[in-house]
Amino acid sequence: MIFILLPLAVLTAGVFLALFIWAVRTGQFDDLETPPVRILNDDADRPLPTGDVETRETIVVSTRDC
Amino acid sequence: MSAACAHCGLDVPASEQRTHATQQFCCRGCAQVYQLLHDWGFDGYYRLLERQGGRGVPAKVSGRKYAELDDPALLKIHAEPCGHDRLRLRLYLEGVHCAACVWLVEELPRAVDGLASVRLNLATHVAEVEWAPSAISLSRIAHALDTIGYTPHLAQDDRLEAARRHNDRALLIKAGVAFAAAMNIMFIHLALYAGELNDISPEFARFFRLMSLGLSLPVMLFSAQPFFRTAWAGLRQRVPHIDLPVALALLGAFGYSAYATLLGHGPVYFDSLAGLVALLLGARYLQQRAQRLALERTSVLRHVAFAEFARRLDAEGLATEVAVTSLIPGDKVEVRSGELLPGDGIVLHGNSQLDQAVLTGEATPLPVGPGDWVVAGATNLGARLVVQIRAVGPNSRVGGLLRLVDEAMRGRAPMVQFTDRISKAFVWGVLGLATALGVGVLLGSGGDVGLALQQVVALLVVTCPCALGLATPVTFTSALARAARAGIFLKNPESLELTRQVDTLLLDKTGTLTEGKLRLVATQGMPKALDLALALEAESAHPIALAFRRAQRTPLGSVHRLEAIREHPGQGIEGLVDGVHVAVGNEALLRTVGVAPTAAHQGQAEIWSAQGLSPLFIAVAGQVVAQAALGDPLRTDAKAALKALTNAGLTLHIVSGDHPAVVARVARELGLTSDHAHGGMTPEAKRTFVADLKAARTQLPHTGKLMMVGDGVNDAAALALADVGVAMQGGSGASVAAADVVLTRPGLMPLVELWRGSHRVMNVIHRNLAFSLIYNLAGAGLTIAGLVGPILAAALMPLSSLTVILSSVLGRTFQTSAAASRTSGGRSWP
Repeated sequence: MIFILLPLAVLTAGVFLALFIWAVRTGQFDDLETPPVRILNDDADRPLPTGDVETRETIVVSTRDC
Repeated sequence: MSAACAHCGLDVPASEQRTHATQQFCCRGCAQVYQLLHDWGFDGYYRLLERQGGRGVPAKVSGRKYAELDDPALLKIHAEPCGHDRLRLRLYLEGVHCAACVWLVEELPRAVDGLASVRLNLATHVAEVEWAPSAISLSRIAHALDTIGYTPHLAQDDRLEAARRHNDRALLIKAGVAFAAAMNIMFIHLALYAGELNDISPEFARFFRLMSLGLSLPVMLFSAQPFFRTAWAGLRQRVPHIDLPVALALLGAFGYSAYATLLGHGPVYFDSLAGLVALLLGARYLQQRAQRLALERTSVLRHVAFAEFARRLDAEGLATEVAVTSLIPGDKVEVRSGELLPGDGIVLHGNSQLDQAVLTGEATPLPVGPGDWVVAGATNLGARLVVQIRAVGPNSRVGGLLRLVDEAMRGRAPMVQFTDRISKAFVWGVLGLATALGVGVLLGSGGDVGLALQQVVALLVVTCPCALGLATPVTFTSALARAARAGIFLKNPESLELTRQVDTLLLDKTGTLTEGKLRLVATQGMPKALDLALALEAESAHPIALAFRRAQRTPLGSVHRLEAIREHPGQGIEGLVDGVHVAVGNEALLRTVGVAPTAAHQGQAEIWSAQGLSPLFIAVAGQVVAQAALGDPLRTDAKAALKALTNAGLTLHIVSGDHPAVVARVARELGLTSDHAHGGMTPEAKRTFVADLKAARTQLPHTGKLMMVGDGVNDAAALALADVGVAMQGGSGASVAAADVVLTRPGLMPLVELWRGSHRVMNVIHRNLAFSLIYNLAGAGLTIAGLVGPILAAALMPLSSLTVILSSVLGRTFQTSAAASRTSGGRSWP
């Protein structure tokens, strides 16, 4: 039994290793900082409907440059 | 009353506060961006910002058209086609500061037709933009990014960077393969070890061993390549590299284990060797990655500080935006207020003042008029100038300075890494011990080659320098991360080692010890007159006017009626405030408007001039009633920081391009003697100063290293040449690119933390070396006593690795002071 199961287990591991190599090759590990942040950004509520004049405040434009 | 800017959350200065407005803004840029995000339905940005506890930064909107980006030749070089009618290009975005920026930038295609997608990398601030050129031009996309507060720059993706990324991926794959193999081998060996206690049947044992032999083949043939290669290269150069004992241990362990497996008896070490390779590669990957990110971040900045576009005037005097690279000598260009000069040349029309602080170190603006020679990289502070270009690119003054920087950087000797020096003694020790043990066992056992080989392999495995190879990269990587949080950005770990040995510190003045901005440092006379002067200056965009406004405390309502305002370039401003004639300016202005200062006023002005300050007179209704002095004051933390460094035994020098009298005064204020203040230094003189100091030191034994701190283009060559170069927060791109360390928090306190942190890091490394030495000595002792089998080796190896990793990660290297973390919410980048 073990003579079949062990190679089978190693083969499964090999499949995952191949997936990992594919992920690295396609650059999915190049940037580890932005993707975790992107998930949070799904929380941004739906935007206000455009043209909704009532909800828009008057904005006083200031004159100074930064 | 204080108010927070609705866009960036910073305090709104009193002069900007508007009554009856629901929102307050600190500047025009913020107000524009707020309005636009509102119109486009991107209010989610502010919700995200709030939710993530981040803070905004004041928006910078140039309002440019970016016409130079539509140049087909430029697109051909930088853009790559992807799919049908699509182009892809990388833009470095100035102004990216937090997670909400990612959302905003990536949502932009919703508001801009023809823009297919934007992917922003938060670490490098580089956005990958995909668009349909038939529907929209790149300049329109750039303009859209600019209007929401992100200034786009072409990100030159040089070949070196691509190669580094490729190396990173290759190493990660090698580490991944090693980890996968090591984990599986470990499980199989667990069965073997358990089997030894419970009488495993020989056929199973043989099968398990064959399996682990097969699994360790990819580790030896693929993953371990880097060790063999560097060990071999070291041997050929007759330098024992730290990888040599690793390679020997791997070869010995694998060779003996394979032999034992085929023979059917004897110990096998497959688990130890695979684990070793996996751990070492993992640590190496982390360090290489941290270094690559640091380099990517700074190399992209290199191109940013200089003018990227010019407004070329055609025969009819119409301006078109062109890329700076397409300018040729003889072209006429227009330079508006706040823009950088694109090349060296001669002013044809216009009077203005130039900020050349980054080029020369002079804090006071330089007045220019028709016929004056002006240089690329200077900022136009005043009115529009028309300049005839005489030299561009490498032939310009700034191009020459950059060449100096490049030369200095190329001339740097490759760093001898700390571990390389230690490894020498270590390698000889292990090799000697292994030979002695082999010969000893041979003689003792009467020529039992198998036993001698087994003992030698056990020794090599046990004494393998994994702590050395593992501890140093892990300590450095965790120190780099901690330092980044404390506002110190290290490009390479070696500079930490060098910083610890620094005994002489050279400091630039303008922008380093001082803020590099004009401020009102002293006033005298009627307070009412100062109010009138403020009202008048509120109408001007001149740097002196900005200095006035920075000093303003009370809100400025529309109380004053202003009429007949006239600016006199290089002199000052006059006008009617509520019907009263007010003039603010220097002595020349007084002559122009026909007002004579009293002897007392003139005396005060002379005192201020002698202190390196610019005196101003305020005349109301034909009489001088008040005076003010403008200057570039010291940073608030300069005194404390320099005191801490002096107390630590460092010798300090000020090297500045500013006038020697000004430099001497600053030195006195900081408690330095006049022979440590060097004024009037050109960029070349600064470089020579560093070179001479370095050369003088090589003659003396036991001297420390040289550190240079600066912010300008004029400091860049000296920064590159010094043992450690430190660029200040907000420094010019050239200084950031040339330096080894970039401060990302304002002020000089991060410098003190850098010095202290470097000592703590080296302490952690020494502690780790002590740990690994103890393990190795114990391991070697046990092996020589003949007690080490595969189980003990398998246990000792991870145990020692774990100890040093814990010691590295827990080591308190850099500390984020409470004050520093308040000023910036985590990520900040120049």
